[in-house]
Amino acid sequence: MATVQLQDVCKRYGGAGGLTAVQDVSLTVADGEFMVLLGPSGCGKSTTLRMIAGLESISDGRLAIDGRAMNAVPAKDRDIAMVFQSYALYPHMTVADNLSFGLKRRGTPRAEIERRVTATAAMLGLTEYLARRPAALSGGQRQRVALGRAIVREPKVFLFDEPLSNLDAALRVATRNELTRLHRRLGATMIYVTHDQVEAMTMGSRICVMNRGRIAQVGAPLDVYRNPADTFVARFLGSPPMNLLPARLRHAAAGTVALVAGAEVPLTRWSDAALAGIAEASFGIRPEDMVLLPSDAGPQPSITGTVASVEPLGAETLLLVDTEGGEVTARLHRDTAACPGDAVRLGIPSTAAYLFGSDGRAIATDRAVN
Amino acid sequence: MKAQGWGDRLTGLLRRGPLLAVLVLYTLYTTLPFLWVGAMSLRTTAEISADHYGLPSPAHWGKFRAAWVDSNFAGYFWNSTVVVVTAVVVVTVLGAMAAHALARYKFPGNRLLYFILFSSIIFPPQIVLLSLFQILVNYDLYNTRIGLILVYVSLQLPLTVFILEAFFARIPQDLFEAARIDGYTDLQIFLRIVVPVGMPAIVTTVILNFVHLWNEYLFAVVLVSDEELRTLPVGIQRFMGDYFQDIGMIATGVMIAVIPVIVVYAFFSEKLIQGMTAGAVK
Amino acid sequence: MPAQAETARIAVPATPRRWWPASRQGGRDPGAPSWLTLMVFLAPALVLYAGLTAYPVVRTFADSLYDLENMDAPRFIGLAHFLQIWSDETFLRAIRNTLVWSFIAPFLDVATGLLLALCLYAGVPFARFLRIAWFTPVLLSYVVVSILWLWIYNYDWGALNLALRAMGLDGWARAWLGESNTALAALMVTHAWKWAGFNMVVCLAALHALPSEVLEAAELDHCGWVAKLRHIIIPLMRPTLLNLYILAFIGKMKVFDLVWIMTQGGPMWSTETVSTYVYKRAFAWNTFDLGYPSAIAVVWFVIVLAAAALLHLAFRQREKLEY
Repeated sequence: MATVQLQDVCKRYGGAGGLTAVQDVSLTVADGEFMVLLGPSGCGKSTTLRMIAGLESISDGRLAIDGRAMNAVPAKDRDIAMVFQSYALYPHMTVADNLSFGLKRRGTPRAEIERRVTATAAMLGLTEYLARRPAALSGGQRQRVALGRAIVREPKVFLFDEPLSNLDAALRVATRNELTRLHRRLGATMIYVTHDQVEAMTMGSRICVMNRGRIAQVGAPLDVYRNPADTFVARFLGSPPMNLLPARLRHAAAGTVALVAGAEVPLTRWSDAALAGIAEASFGIRPEDMVLLPSDAGPQPSITGTVASVEPLGAETLLLVDTEGGEVTARLHRDTAACPGDAVRLGIPSTAAYLFGSDGRAIATDRAVN
Repeated sequence: MKAQGWGDRLTGLLRRGPLLAVLVLYTLYTTLPFLWVGAMSLRTTAEISADHYGLPSPAHWGKFRAAWVDSNFAGYFWNSTVVVVTAVVVVTVLGAMAAHALARYKFPGNRLLYFILFSSIIFPPQIVLLSLFQILVNYDLYNTRIGLILVYVSLQLPLTVFILEAFFARIPQDLFEAARIDGYTDLQIFLRIVVPVGMPAIVTTVILNFVHLWNEYLFAVVLVSDEELRTLPVGIQRFMGDYFQDIGMIATGVMIAVIPVIVVYAFFSEKLIQGMTAGAVK
Repeated sequence: MPAQAETARIAVPATPRRWWPASRQGGRDPGAPSWLTLMVFLAPALVLYAGLTAYPVVRTFADSLYDLENMDAPRFIGLAHFLQIWSDETFLRAIRNTLVWSFIAPFLDVATGLLLALCLYAGVPFARFLRIAWFTPVLLSYVVVSILWLWIYNYDWGALNLALRAMGLDGWARAWLGESNTALAALMVTHAWKWAGFNMVVCLAALHALPSEVLEAAELDHCGWVAKLRHIIIPLMRPTLLNLYILAFIGKMKVFDLVWIMTQGGPMWSTETVSTYVYKRAFAWNTFDLGYPSAIAVVWFVIVLAAAALLHLAFRQREKLEY
């Protein structure tokens, strides 16, 4: 069990003027924590993981595991285990050999190897496949062998590099649950890289959203979802993503109001002081926070527009609506009856509003709502 | 109904007639010459002169013993075996190591080296033949097994590297990183991961190199003149005098040279076909 | 929680920021090899290649500028050998023979191979066995093949003449290798006999790799066998066929054993190839001069490389135009 600390870690390729893949990443993963590195492809999350593993050198900054500096320690001596996207099983070895391989390399006593392999195989339901080679296993079984290979090692830190992306949808959900249970059971420190927000939200103790080589935000999944630090995080988490509309702020004695797409939304989550001096901002509203108002509804903050398309998903219905502020998506009840071309009125609860400054950063709320 | 079925089958046969004829004729075309030599190998030259297409009755199996012992085919066979087996082993080891380095490691000049090796595959042999002769003479390697072995290794090296590099490059990078986390050194990664995983390709190159070198003639005839060191292809040719051919003995010698290849082919035909066509099939 | 807050939580060590050795920073990647590792893997092969391929090639180039009749006292003569080459009738004859063979014979090889592959592809009985049987000649050495065909072409008792006489075509029977107008063609047939199986196997693999949907679509478009072959199969197999052509071409530019054992370049230089001529000039003539044959080898080396590069470029160019 261990803590992992990254401090101002950078990764640069090539000489001066070369590509910077990771910049000034500082992150502490606590003992026993399940940390998810989340971001689009090319955001530097895999590179960060590989630097922790020792598969890439660290250009600048410091990496420590359990307080011990690791920058110059080769991968094999870091006491980490990694599960790869392609599983990286040794194709010429049986499942049992794949599991015991890393232990043998480290000179673990034979009886101890035997014990751990048996226990791990039993835990993962691999006992009857121990004598098979990877080619004779299904995708899910291979995935479990890859997992088992990490577990038998009883490493300080588990690293996962998109381990579920080669599985089909049903298996992915099952394995997700299995991994979560495994984390609870082992209580080990795990760092998990993915581009899939559902995996991040469901599995992570905390998630670390990365963008263009930098950390955009770190926090518990729901915290990050509820309080995105900037427009990138706001739109990356959530499907469909948060609607962002240009807004002008009107400061008045009764409180500040956002003028957005023809609607007037009172900004009740912010004090006047917090918004002082701000004239324009991006106004954010999540699709699921919008409500479809009946034509006879009383006056309340709402925007009107024309339905561009209707996407009934079964459990819910998505409405794409053209408004004067741009296209917005609303996530509504599955029985919503609307046709393209209909004029609709979408209510915007002022408690669900987000504001982002011209630099894209969230304007922090300072009034408790709920 | 029944009549129509027969009619269908008849027209089917007629339509396929030409096809079947081609098949039969071509099979005879490839196999008959071989069977013919096989028959002659069991007949004396006198019998052959009387009737070139007679059956081997009685079969003179003793001719094989005579060729093996009296005509020194045992020696030729031994020379071929020593030279070819050693060369194949060496070229496989050197080629696999070089292919691994080219497939796995990024370093300046990697692709240049690869291109140079690759183009060497099409070099006409004359461009090295004459100078190799001089070089071997200079270094007292002319007329030695070791000289011929070294030349054979250099001849097959480019093709070996080419085939193995293509295969090794397809081994996923993740496998190497997993091995590195498990504590493998570069050399161990090669021995424990690349060699076992790349075994199908290695076997292919072994077969290809073996057949090529077992049949090699030009360098064997130029670089070795000592009767004691001649390999099979050169040895057989000794019986092809300008004015007199000991047809019976040549046929027996041909069979001695061919039988090992045919036996191997009988057991590993698919692997041999794969090996010989490696590089041409995409 | 914004990122800054996270950073602040890290316990910053009291030691100076750059406590790690500076030389480690931006060092080589753990995945990159050390020079020692690279050398261990590459050096043996490279040394051998340098000594027994690269150096000999350079030395042949150098030799071509010398008169080497006395190997201990080479005499520099510049480009004299190269000037001599252009008036060497035998060499020009050899070049012509080799080029004819290299450019024309591959059509025979590849076409035979394709035809045989189509026969097997059509689903005949014993296809597996036939494939193996037809491939056998590929495994035989040129020495063996040459001896076989020397006998098949024998004037008195060779199988070919016996067959012709049996059909009453006595007039056609001849010493196939002994007459200058048939010898080269006879060698080509022998060469094709050895290599047809190779082309067949490669074509068959390519045929089996064809997308079956396309062939089925062609059937729906009412294509018969001939139309399917002409409009679908051959165009789809073009890369394979061109590849085979180039392979056959290069093989024939190099051919030595077959010619040397069957005709030694005769009669009257009608089957002389560059390979046999170089060999003769170097080792079989009374004058032992390696300089002149080296010059021939150099010229031939350039021609072979240029031809291979040209074919490659030409075929690639056409690929580009079509897609």
